[in-house]
Amino acid sequence: MARFLVRRLAHAVPLLLIVSALVFLLIHAAPGGPLAIYLSNPNVRPADIERLRHALGLDRPLWDQYWSWLAAFMKGDWGYSFSDGRPVADRILERVPATIELVSTSLVCALALTIPVGVWSAVRRGRWFDRLTTMTSMVGLSLPGFWFGLLLQMIFALALGWLPSSGRATPGVGGAVDHLQHLVMPTAVLALVLASSWSRYLRGSMIETVGQPFVVAAEARGLPAMRVVLRHALRNALGPLVAIITVDAALLVSGAVVTESVFAWPGIGSLFTEALARRDYSVLMALLMLSSAAVILFNVAADAMHAVIDPRVTG
Amino acid sequence: MLVCLIGAAAAAPRLAPYAPDQIDLSARRSAPSAAHWFGTDELGRDVLARVLFGARVSLAVGLLSAVVAGAIGVAVGGVAGYAGGMADAALMRTTDGVLSIPRLPLLMIAAVVLQPSVPLLILLIGGAGWMETARVVRAEFGALRGLGFVESARAAGAGHLRVLARHLLPNAAQAVAVSLTLAVARGILIESALSFFGVGVRPPQASWGNMLYQAQASLSTEPWLAVAPGMFILLTTVAVNLAGDQLARRT
Amino acid sequence: MTLRSAGLAFLLAATAVAAGCGGHAGVTAPSNDLLIVGYDREPDTLNRFSTHILEDIQTCIVEGLTTTDEQMRVVPLLARDVPTLENGGVRLRADGGMDVTWRLRPGVKWHDGTPFTSADIRFTVDAINGPNYNPESTDGFDRISSVDTPDPLTAVVHYKEIYAPYDIQFIRGALPQHILEGRDIDRAQDYNRNPLGTGPYRVVEWKAGEYILLERVPHYWRGDEYPKIRQILFKFIPNTNTRINQLKSGEVHVVALVPWDKYREIADLKSIVVKKTPGNAYEHVTLNERHFPPFADIRVRQALISALDRDQYARTILDGLAPVAHGPIQPISWAYSDRITKYPFDPAKARALLDAAGWRPGADGIRVREGTRLAFTLMTQAGYAIRENIAQAIERQLRDVGVDVQVALQDGTAISSIWFEGRFDAMLHWWQMPSDPELTTFFAADRTPPAGRNIDYFRDDELTRLLYASDRTVDRPARGALLARAQALITAAVPEIPLYTVTRLDALPASLVNFKGNPTNTGIFWNVHEWEIK
Repeated sequence: MARFLVRRLAHAVPLLLIVSALVFLLIHAAPGGPLAIYLSNPNVRPADIERLRHALGLDRPLWDQYWSWLAAFMKGDWGYSFSDGRPVADRILERVPATIELVSTSLVCALALTIPVGVWSAVRRGRWFDRLTTMTSMVGLSLPGFWFGLLLQMIFALALGWLPSSGRATPGVGGAVDHLQHLVMPTAVLALVLASSWSRYLRGSMIETVGQPFVVAAEARGLPAMRVVLRHALRNALGPLVAIITVDAALLVSGAVVTESVFAWPGIGSLFTEALARRDYSVLMALLMLSSAAVILFNVAADAMHAVIDPRVTG
Repeated sequence: MLVCLIGAAAAAPRLAPYAPDQIDLSARRSAPSAAHWFGTDELGRDVLARVLFGARVSLAVGLLSAVVAGAIGVAVGGVAGYAGGMADAALMRTTDGVLSIPRLPLLMIAAVVLQPSVPLLILLIGGAGWMETARVVRAEFGALRGLGFVESARAAGAGHLRVLARHLLPNAAQAVAVSLTLAVARGILIESALSFFGVGVRPPQASWGNMLYQAQASLSTEPWLAVAPGMFILLTTVAVNLAGDQLARRT
Repeated sequence: MTLRSAGLAFLLAATAVAAGCGGHAGVTAPSNDLLIVGYDREPDTLNRFSTHILEDIQTCIVEGLTTTDEQMRVVPLLARDVPTLENGGVRLRADGGMDVTWRLRPGVKWHDGTPFTSADIRFTVDAINGPNYNPESTDGFDRISSVDTPDPLTAVVHYKEIYAPYDIQFIRGALPQHILEGRDIDRAQDYNRNPLGTGPYRVVEWKAGEYILLERVPHYWRGDEYPKIRQILFKFIPNTNTRINQLKSGEVHVVALVPWDKYREIADLKSIVVKKTPGNAYEHVTLNERHFPPFADIRVRQALISALDRDQYARTILDGLAPVAHGPIQPISWAYSDRITKYPFDPAKARALLDAAGWRPGADGIRVREGTRLAFTLMTQAGYAIRENIAQAIERQLRDVGVDVQVALQDGTAISSIWFEGRFDAMLHWWQMPSDPELTTFFAADRTPPAGRNIDYFRDDELTRLLYASDRTVDRPARGALLARAQALITAAVPEIPLYTVTRLDALPASLVNFKGNPTNTGIFWNVHEWEIK
């Protein structure tokens, strides 16, 4: 196991290097740069732009910029933001807790929905519960996140007045209750979308495993049906589900971009939107590298978990 | 049902009561009525006509991008899960690499750089969405291989391709069908998200995605603008899902 | 299964919290204790010389020597008066330069108690022109040769040449010498995040991604009775729908620059009034004749403007909120002239003009001349519903006269660089215009990018001569006459298609008094010290 982990993590390094070069090229290929925003001010003249371009090092060749970025990044120096001049690490670290909070509660809630729904609708395939959850997940799959978020705001914040419409806490109030109230709607959006697709997968593989010889055999041996389902069928069906969850970890980064924007959630998703709009290269690079690294770590962890759940599969 | 939807899209010019880009500024934002079943939008265009014409774009984007994603995913995941060893490691690390770049941001940047047409959009969305299928197929194949499928088939004299196509793929069909089903809805929604950032299907051409995006601005004043495209996306998701179930059951 | 129980527990708790308490702490009525502003983005920095975007928060903290009022007049703030030729504050030198004498208001102190003096003015000019600071713009400052400070309340600014917009040179105030001398201002985060000013408010908290909280200073120079409101909270809510939802729910009290398509949603709210301020910016379609040569023919340009029913756009798509514009200077400006050419909607005239210019309808209805189709791309910014709708209406109406238009959307940053490089046929957009009516950078023949903003690539020698002459004229009636002739020339030649004057919509609590509004990018908070909830 330890060897497996070390090997996988060693593989991750060249992977991250390639990803970084690719992403660097891509974001520089997008029209406009960190200085483009100044062009909309009539008082900013070409001389000003040239002066700033030189001061920020944007007039150097691209490979040179990449190289110095990489060298500094390796040493732990993430540079300064092109928009507000603060250290990139500061800008990101102050946003991380909000995103971890949102993503982890969403993951937990999504799992809490997925497992009972997926198992039960597979076992009772075609019955009313299966139909109902199938329909619900279809709706969940068909609604864009930005849309679902606005709908919730209109119902729970505007019409009913139960929940704050957006933000992470009421300034000057704070406290656990206030915090939880702010968390409900963005979590619901992310969790519902995830659970909609995960429960489809789980239902699908449960239906397959329930029909497999070893499950039939276990049932024939007279084991209680529920125990067979949970011990044998679910265990076997978890493999593909874990594979999906790891994939969706990456998707969650994108999902959080939209959800955080709709709910004015002060996490790294909204920082990304802001940085992309400003072409804040240093912040963008650091964010994309961080999320890539996080996804790779998540994958390794999931593969390790997969190997534990299903010992026949080894990395 | 799916056939009906595709049929409606194909027959859009006949079915639609108006041209999809016929502007009538004196009849803007009118609620659903006998003249306009789904109402009219900000420019007085008939929503029904736009939904029907939008079906051509959205169904193409959803279905074809799912096919692209499915084909790449099954190939990569299938080979990795079947071959194991070095090939598996190499393919799956590549998958991890592609996967580790957040998809929507990647697509946003790519769309900004390329200003894609509809066919290119399909390739982009499909090309950015195959990793899930690959991982599912690989996990399924790995599990099936462990159950002794391959050895018995090989012992019976079957070639690699035959084992893959005849023995492994049918058993993983349920999972593949689910992931393809999801990919259709996701493709349509990604196009919607791209419209949100102005890099999806360009107006005045209609797609369900850009109609939904345009409708969100007036959600509280003209909610009907969202009903039609929303319903059609839902119908498509359900139809594809049913078709997927059928397909999986038959194999 | 622990995950499941944890998740269930969370859902239950959340529901209980939501339903059981029957409400939440987010909604508070506006009061003289706290006013909450919904703001569309987080500022990069509060240093006014490092950014031009969104000066609303900054104007509450840092004051200029002058400011612009609700009529776009330049009025004194930290200066005792606006220097002019008449009051002797401006002196033209024989060598072609000029001297501007600023007399500062006595008794003004920085928030830390240090007196505000002419030395701060000299320090600011030196810092901006010096090598160790990278301000956003050095415009105007680079024409200053030196600053003399004969006494603490007098600063004499020596210009190398005549510079007409001298009166707004110090609209962004000054940098405090005693805090910033000898430092790297780009990295002086203590100042950039919490600037020392002379204004009615100071920053007490900046929570990244969430809000900036301002609190009144104890002894504002106008007197201890100002400002009336104790705290102002700026909440960052970039998503427009979300921002408007917070306004509707009462979680925010003020939203500046409400998009026009959101007006209907809030117009009927009892607790809110929406103030309309005529602006000095105008939305228009730039016709880039270098990138799409058919635009070089004046008959084509006149045909395009005649083919568009701009009155109808204003009435319908803009809901009557913004009037049709006819030229680059808007009626609110002192330099506006009414003696200009206007183009009513006349598609028959448009077709005739195109026929006369040799553009004949082809098989598909689109006009062709010498093998070239009259087809171009109209670029505009993504995410602005109104612009997208206007672009589609233009597309449709031009197709009716045989012109093919493709609409292309780009984000704001891409747009900025695309115009700078001149890589577009036509663009639907607006410039942020300063209060000074300078047009040179937009229309002078030699001010095409990168030297300026003439992205029509329009060349007219007479116009260019007029514009440069107006920049070097300080006497207002004389400058006005030059600019009036320039406006007549521009509207006759139609280098671009003006669409409508940008009207500012600001949503405020109905209980707020002494709000005046502001058409320039000085923003609505310029008189925040007078605001009061009654």
